[in-house]
Amino acid sequence: MREHGTAKHINRHGDLYKVLLIGNPNVGKSALFGLLTGTYVTVSNYPGTTVEVTYGNAVLNKARTLVIDTPGVNSLVPMSEDEKVTRDMLLSDRADVVVQVADTKNLRRGLLITLQLAEMAVPFILDLNMDDEARSRGIIIDQELLAEHLGVEVVKTVAIRRSGIDKLLRGIQHPRPSPVLVRYDDTIEGGIRDISALLPEANIARRAIALMVLSGDESLKGWLHANLQDHVVADIEKIRQATQSKFNNSLGYLINQRRMKKADEILGQVLSLHEAGKGSALAFHLGKWSMHPVYGLPILLAVLYLVYQFVGVLGAGDAVGFLEKTVFGEYLNPWMTKIVHFLVPVPFLQELLIGDYGLFTMAITYAIAIVLPIVGFFFIAFSILEDSGYLPRLAVMVNKIFKVMGLNGKAVLPMILGLGCDTMATLTTRILETKKERILVTLLLALGVPCSAQLGVILGLVAGISGLATGIWVFTLLSMMLLVGYLAAKVIPGEPSDFVLELPPIRVPQLTNILIKTLARVQWYLKEAVPLFLLGTFILFIGHKVGALAYIQKITDPIVVNFLGLPSRAAEAFVIGFLRRDYGAAGLFMLSKEGLLDPIQIVVSLTVMTLFVPCIANFFMMVKERGMKTALSMAAFIFPFAFGVGGALNWLLRTFKVSL
Amino acid sequence: MAEIRKIVGIEGQAGHPSLCVLPEIEKEDELFEIIWTLREEGKLTFEQIVQNCALAECENILKDLAKNGWLDVKGQSVELLPKGEKRARELVRRHRLSLRMFYDLFALDGAEAEACKFEHILSPEVTDSVCTLLGHPPNSPDGKPIPRGECCTMFRQEMKPLVAPLADLTPGEQAKIVFITPGSHSRLDRLSAMGVVPGSIVKLHQKRPSYVIQLGETMIAVDKDITKEIFVKKV
Repeated sequence: MREHGTAKHINRHGDLYKVLLIGNPNVGKSALFGLLTGTYVTVSNYPGTTVEVTYGNAVLNKARTLVIDTPGVNSLVPMSEDEKVTRDMLLSDRADVVVQVADTKNLRRGLLITLQLAEMAVPFILDLNMDDEARSRGIIIDQELLAEHLGVEVVKTVAIRRSGIDKLLRGIQHPRPSPVLVRYDDTIEGGIRDISALLPEANIARRAIALMVLSGDESLKGWLHANLQDHVVADIEKIRQATQSKFNNSLGYLINQRRMKKADEILGQVLSLHEAGKGSALAFHLGKWSMHPVYGLPILLAVLYLVYQFVGVLGAGDAVGFLEKTVFGEYLNPWMTKIVHFLVPVPFLQELLIGDYGLFTMAITYAIAIVLPIVGFFFIAFSILEDSGYLPRLAVMVNKIFKVMGLNGKAVLPMILGLGCDTMATLTTRILETKKERILVTLLLALGVPCSAQLGVILGLVAGISGLATGIWVFTLLSMMLLVGYLAAKVIPGEPSDFVLELPPIRVPQLTNILIKTLARVQWYLKEAVPLFLLGTFILFIGHKVGALAYIQKITDPIVVNFLGLPSRAAEAFVIGFLRRDYGAAGLFMLSKEGLLDPIQIVVSLTVMTLFVPCIANFFMMVKERGMKTALSMAAFIFPFAFGVGGALNWLLRTFKVSL
Repeated sequence: MAEIRKIVGIEGQAGHPSLCVLPEIEKEDELFEIIWTLREEGKLTFEQIVQNCALAECENILKDLAKNGWLDVKGQSVELLPKGEKRARELVRRHRLSLRMFYDLFALDGAEAEACKFEHILSPEVTDSVCTLLGHPPNSPDGKPIPRGECCTMFRQEMKPLVAPLADLTPGEQAKIVFITPGSHSRLDRLSAMGVVPGSIVKLHQKRPSYVIQLGETMIAVDKDITKEIFVKKV
């Protein structure tokens, strides 16, 4: 907890002009960041897209500037890990200007943060973003009057349309601390005075820190201990307890209640309501139906069907067919073979490049011809879903089921993101409030959520057999996740947290954002996956050459052949599956194409592969976020469990002679 | 109980906030309340009662009450007998309900003093009406539980409550938050940061498969439990 800098750390980034973007979740900070810096960071339509601080360089107003994007916060007294990151930026890293980004139609909640920035006495300006959405709902904010009330610059923007950016740039040249003061109850004011007297010099006003302490901010403890002697920290805690003991409601609540009252006073003077436009009516109803107890399910099924058609049929079928058979099969691979034979006369090297386990014929073909088109199509579909605002509404549908696993609907966000990439999703578990929930979701992600690359390959495989096969695979996965989640929730100590999730409005996805986001992700996939594909192939090649592969097959035969009922060569897929699940799945894909797998074998092998830990990168992320011990215990559970379930499934399908 | 209710028009003076300084029979009531509260806090002893009681004749009244079969005193141990239990329970219920009414509904300063007067004059029927009107609140504003009455458990409510839990609204209805009785402090902190505070206008969007509420342009999905703790007045 001591890593947080003190006031001495302030000039860490040299003499760059520093702009810090702060605001409620899902108000467009990342979109604005992209505009200011020209660097793309993921922009989506749900709260919690950004969980880490992002830095970007730009030249603004002819000055070299460092722009800093932060996770969204509802209050500067943090409730989760991502919110803490933002508060710590204010506390430890002095910015030249703080730009508070607010959603114009939700200004009331924005003002709650404005008032806290005023208490901190940091120089800032207020940016009323999404002004278009507010107007279409008939909400007009008198910008000049608001600036007058707050004593700071107020600008209006629509970040995704680049509108108002010039005004924003002019605005950031004149940041000021706001003179607005919220007066609290006399007892609380007394507590603020007493605590302030004990606090050290900091980047933000002592009054603000005292209010955080009074609000019961546990995450501030580390900073206090780093800056004060233990007995002073103890004294501060005593003042807090003495103040709290005079009230029955929590101080944090009373303080927020008072701030809210002030926000309402200001809002009452600057907000006028007009007749709403008709534009958002359809979106509004779609949003309503998507979480309707009756229509919600058909909508979910329709969404899944469309994604399946787009990714499984168009992507994994047509696009892969074209790339693999035509582009690689008829042109690239024969050309490469010719070129290699011509240029490299050494048979060993020839085999390394274009043999059965050739870096080009296997690794590059798998990565580019099979997995790339599939993930590309998936990323497009996924980006559309993300930007529509549909995903958080799923949380409303599944909250009750997630309760069985000691989680709540909020956990659906990282789980769905896992369908994109389990590694990124593991990072997103930071939006969850308790440690127990973060561990549970990390485990379930590693266990049962297939990532886009793998999902695509799998969809392509099972689509070739039957609906029943797909059903068995899905059912096995879901029931195993439910079972493991249920049991793990019993074992892992801690309390589940409340289900409180903000639902963004349904929006029409912006084509440019979909394209940029998909490109950014494809680029990331290539950087992340191709080296591992090459490495995996190289290991297989060496293994094949020195005979280790045959040896591995021999020792794994009892499991792979006898227990799982698979051909001996499936062991190869499992070996590379340790590196990346999708690579393993691609191996199975090839086996099945060669006609070496019957339908039951496909279902069994896919089930085992899906239950594997996704990839090396995901494992490293587990270590980083949850610690080595937890990550290792998860892996130690997952691998035997995956084979166990596969064996049981094989036995069941064979015993009952299920024909797929 | 009838004889207690005959006394009307008492001049209530608020001394110590939880004390109701009143003549004669109210002195007994006062003791019953102290006993109930101490028992809630798990520190009911003879000595504690005397310490918490501002009356000089406290010990004598306790002995009289014991003599008349209201309670059982053995050394330090004090126990309410059935008829004492009933009297204490009803008294505390009336006191805390009155407090809720004055404090939240009428937003009156000095709710405590008013509640002290009311607890002695409310008839059982009126008490149940007040309770229903307030939506059968589980706690008084100071967070202490309000003993449940018959009206709270009755299946059909004949009187439309003025204040009801948010969970009881029909989807689509709008209401103003009057008070919140949170299960935990952190829950209240989180909700208040999203604008869920007394005075805010809230709309219940749907109940199934999960509860969704709307404040201004903010839609929030929440657990049902939370909506049971938010008490609202329809607007």
